[in-house]
Order: sequence, then C-alpha cells, then structure tokens
Amino acid sequence: MKNKLFEKYFVFSPYFWLVLFFFIPLAIIFKISISVSEWGMPPYQNIFLFDNGFKINTTFENYVYIFSDFYYIGSFVNSLILALISTFFCLLIGFPLAFYIATSNIRLRNILLVLVVIPFWSSFLLRVYAWKIILQNNGILNVILLNLGITSEPLQLLYNQYAVIMGIVYTYLPLMILPLYGYLNKFDLNLIEASKDLGLNRFKTFFKVILPLSAPGIVAGSLLVFIPVVGEFIIPEMLGGSDRLYYGKILWEEFFVNRNWPGASALAFSGIIILVLPIVIFQILYSRFSQKNEI
Amino acid sequence: MDNNFLVIENISKSFGDNKVLDNINLNISKSEFFGLLGSSGSGKTTLLRILGGFEKPDTGRVILDGMDITNLEPFNRPLNYMFQSYALFPHLNVFNNLAFGIKENFTQKEIEINVRNIAELLSIEHLLNRRIKQLSGGEQQRVALGRCLIKKPKLLLLDEPLAALDKKLRSKTQLELTTLQKKLKITFVFVTHDQEEAMSLSDRMAIMKNGLILECSSPEEIYENPKSLYTANFIGIANIIEIYKKDENFYSDDLAINFKLNKELKNTKTNILLRPEKIKIQSINNLKTSSFNSFSGEILEKSYLGSFTRYEIKIKNMIISVLHQNFNSHSNYNFPKGEKVICSWESESIKVLED
Repeated sequence: MKNKLFEKYFVFSPYFWLVLFFFIPLAIIFKISISVSEWGMPPYQNIFLFDNGFKINTTFENYVYIFSDFYYIGSFVNSLILALISTFFCLLIGFPLAFYIATSNIRLRNILLVLVVIPFWSSFLLRVYAWKIILQNNGILNVILLNLGITSEPLQLLYNQYAVIMGIVYTYLPLMILPLYGYLNKFDLNLIEASKDLGLNRFKTFFKVILPLSAPGIVAGSLLVFIPVVGEFIIPEMLGGSDRLYYGKILWEEFFVNRNWPGASALAFSGIIILVLPIVIFQILYSRFSQKNEI
Repeated sequence: MDNNFLVIENISKSFGDNKVLDNINLNISKSEFFGLLGSSGSGKTTLLRILGGFEKPDTGRVILDGMDITNLEPFNRPLNYMFQSYALFPHLNVFNNLAFGIKENFTQKEIEINVRNIAELLSIEHLLNRRIKQLSGGEQQRVALGRCLIKKPKLLLLDEPLAALDKKLRSKTQLELTTLQKKLKITFVFVTHDQEEAMSLSDRMAIMKNGLILECSSPEEIYENPKSLYTANFIGIANIIEIYKKDENFYSDDLAINFKLNKELKNTKTNILLRPEKIKIQSINNLKTSSFNSFSGEILEKSYLGSFTRYEIKIKNMIISVLHQNFNSHSNYNFPKGEKVICSWESESIKVLED
C-alpha cells in the first residue's frame, strides 16, 4: 500500500523539481521586477506595505524603462542573432558528427562518444581561457601563421564577434551532438538504402528521408544550444570586444554595477518570457500535430 | 529461353579476412522466379545486396539485360530491392510511400493514377491514407512490394520476403506472390533460409554454402536428385546410408542388408539417399523380407501429421525416417509404436550422392 502510494507520487517528482527550482525563483524575479527601486539593502521596496493599513506597492515602470531604451532591446537582439548563428554552426558541424557516430561500429562509437563528453571534465572557464591563449596576438595560432609565412604580422583574432561565435560553437557542440545522436542511433539505415533504391540520390535522400526523420533530434539539440547562448555571459566577456553588447552582459551590469535589481529582474523576466513562450507554444502544437499523425 | 537476362560473372567478395562470396557464376532468365537458398552466413544476402548496388564486389561483373551494372549506384539501377524489414518510411503515409520512387518524374495526376493502379493490384486501396504504424505485417509487406513494383523494375530483389509473416499468412502470400510474378512477368530473385519457401516459390533455385553455389536447378530436380550430401540433408528429410560393393550387389553395414541399384557406380564405396516418402511400410504378417531393397525393423517413434504419419524405424545401428500417407481413415495403415514392420523401396528411388 505504501509502495503504491510512493509509485503514484513518484511520477510527479519532475514537477516538484520544476516548481522548486524554476517556478519559485521565477516568481521571486517577477516580484522584484514589479517592485519600486530604493537605495538600500535590498535595493527595492516591499510590494506589500502595512504602515498605514494594507497597501500594494507595485510598479511597471521597470518594464516601461527597459522597453523604451534601445540599449536593452538592441543587446537582446544582438544575443538572439549570436544564438542563431551559433546554433546554425553547431548543427552544421554536429549533424554529420552525430550521424557518423551513430552509424559507426560499437567500439568506435563508444570511443567517439567519450571524446565528445571529455571536455565537460575540465572547467568551462579554463577551456574558454585556453582559447584566449591560442588566439591572442603572440598566441600559438599566430606564431604558426607567422612561421609558415602566411601572414607578415600577427592577426587580430581575439576580441571580436568571430572569436565569440567560435568559442560558443566549441563549448556548446556536445549539447547539439548528444541529443542528435540519441535520435540518429535509432535510425534504420535500411531507410537510406530504400530511398536510394527507389531512385533518390544522396542529396535528395538526405532531404526527403534523413532530415524529416531526425527533426525531433534537431529541434532538441538546437533548443539546448540556442536558449543558454542567448543568456551567455562569460564567453562574450572573455573573447569578445567592446563593439557589441550582449544581453547577458547587460543583465550582469544592471544587477551588480548599477545595483538596479528591479530593472535587471524586469529584463531577465522579459527575456525568459520572450524565449520560453514561443517554445512552449511550439511544443504544444507539435505534440498535437504528431498525435494526430501518429509520428 | 534467353538465359542471359541477368548474368552474374565471377563475383567474389570479402569482408576483411572473411571470404563471403567465392567466384559466383549464375545465369537467370527473363521472367524467372529465382531463389537463393542457404543458411545464415552462406553469402546469399551479400549476393543480393551486390545485385542491389549496396555492396561492391571485389571481382566480377553483374550484367542486367545487356547492360553492365556492376559500378552503378543503387539509384541508377533499373531494379528494386524489397528489404526484409520492409524499410517503409515511417514519416509518410501509405500513398506517399507508394509514390516515393515516382514523384520525381511524374505529374501529380500520373502519380495518382499509378498509385491507385498498384494499390488495386495488391488490394490495398483502403489503406492509402494510413500511417505505416497502423498497418499489420501483411499489409506492410504489400506496401513494400507495391513501392517497388510501381517503378516497373526489370528485376525485383526480395530479401526474405515472407520471413516476417506468421505461418498461415505466409502460405497465402506465397501463392499470391507467384501469381503476381507470373502476371507481371518481372524477373524475381529472392533470398531465403526456409527450404519450403524456396521450393514453393522458385522456378529454379541455387543452394549456397560458405560463399559457393553447390547446386542450381529446379526444386524437383534438387529434391529428387541432389548431387551433394549437404543439399540432400538441407532440403527435406533425408535417410543417408553408406554402401559398398559386395559381390553382385551393394551392402550396408549399418542396416545389414543388400541394395540393388539400377546403375553402375564409379566408386566402390558411396552414400545413397533414400527419401522417407519413397519407402513403403507393411505389416510383417503380410510379407516375407526380400533379399534386397527391404528390411524389417521396429517402430521407435511415430508422429501423426494429419495427411501423413512420420515413423522412425530402428534397424540394427540406424534409425530410418518413413513418411506414410494416410490413404483412408481405417486403422490398417496406422502402425503402433513397438510393432515390427517391413520396409521396402524400388531401385529407382535410390539416389547416389556424388560427394
């Protein structure tokens, strides 16, 4: 009896996790975002005041403020573009790799999977810092290029958006490969042969068979890369220049430099809604679509 | 008959150190239903995959209707391949699976007409809007067949076409497949490990073992006059008896009886094949044992199979299988376990195995 009860509620444990670590923090952020700024600790006023009877003390000025200043919107757009480009390159590199891993024999497959996961065993910060050392003016890459006579003076490889994209693609690639591998692993290779047998060349087979059947993996991998990259703070900070402002950095400065907690919270909350809402809607539509068509 | 429609010439193939096909030569006629029969590891599927273009042979050529197709990609070959798993596209419905191979070169209207025709031929018109997951095994088999036939191939390759079906559906589909093949006059080459399937479907069949073709002939010929010991044992039930020349006749030590053959032997010692249905079984009261081509023994096991009863009869050091047809429902023809019986056969029924 006790076990049955346990089983019954065990299935709710992911929701419990979600409520505890996602919805409650989100509610706190929302609460701060509608609070009035104040010079103090914490730097905002309570939303419920009991001084002279009960009074609700909220404001939407923080939202008006961030949406009326292009500084905030522009940085968010910059981050979206950065995330789009990075996701695209992750997919471009990750798909063939995942496909190769999924179709190779079991021994090679396990070795390759370990190689994909190995970077996670070292610190994220150290890995990004290593790229800084590789790309800097007297770094390894420039030394090689100079010695080979390809350039006559060191190239400025660091502190621009290309370095940022490269760093992000490098760091987030496993997050693309692993879910893709999960889907491609189940892929029936006979389907590729059947498609060729029915007269479709490699190119057409890719678009008519492989791509549609790995769509769920592509969506999963792309979301895993896209969403965190929008808020990415460390990589643009270490590898990027001052020519472009990104959402993550603005958010950090708003919190820790300007100490404008309500403004920063409004920025964070807006960001989450703008990112998550379309994905939730897409997921609902997609699951309805696939239920209808029994994919 | 034009025997050169499909010519397989000196085909060899190795995977690493493992020689899968060893210098295979085969000629297959137009509109022939040809079976490749062998146990797993015999190389039959590799040969079929070479014909389909999914494997490249190390040596040799494949010529289809006068055209050398050895180095053509699968999508350029005028043939189709039906996979054992059917390999239907799960993201498309039945209509689009059938239309998959003709979408490129046909207009929407032509596609409609072609799909309807093929669906009618295979009686799957009512399934066109279904998803693949909603189909039974037999329905999937038809869709897989239709998807190939819609392309009007010169040659259809079938990998274990009936293996995924249950027994009852299998015999029904066997009949349909032969009828369809005779109607369309398309050359069919199929692979199977099931000897019954090979015999009922094939016009001619090849027995494969360890990358070699042991025999290639009609099912009747292979069953009645197998050349090798392996084939004799592989197809049907076989009583194999070792005999040697003794005076006028031949003698078996295992059975302690004489054999009379109606032909001369090259060797003094050889194996002979005696099929179980060729042996006549009679009550010991009726007859005396003849001096040759007959023996008396004791019924060790019997299994009643409906139209036949299979007896295992012990004589001296050997157990001989006998299939006895149940002509009528009287018990006269049914012998109980432990009874002594006389078995006899005609000299013509004894087949000498060459190797």
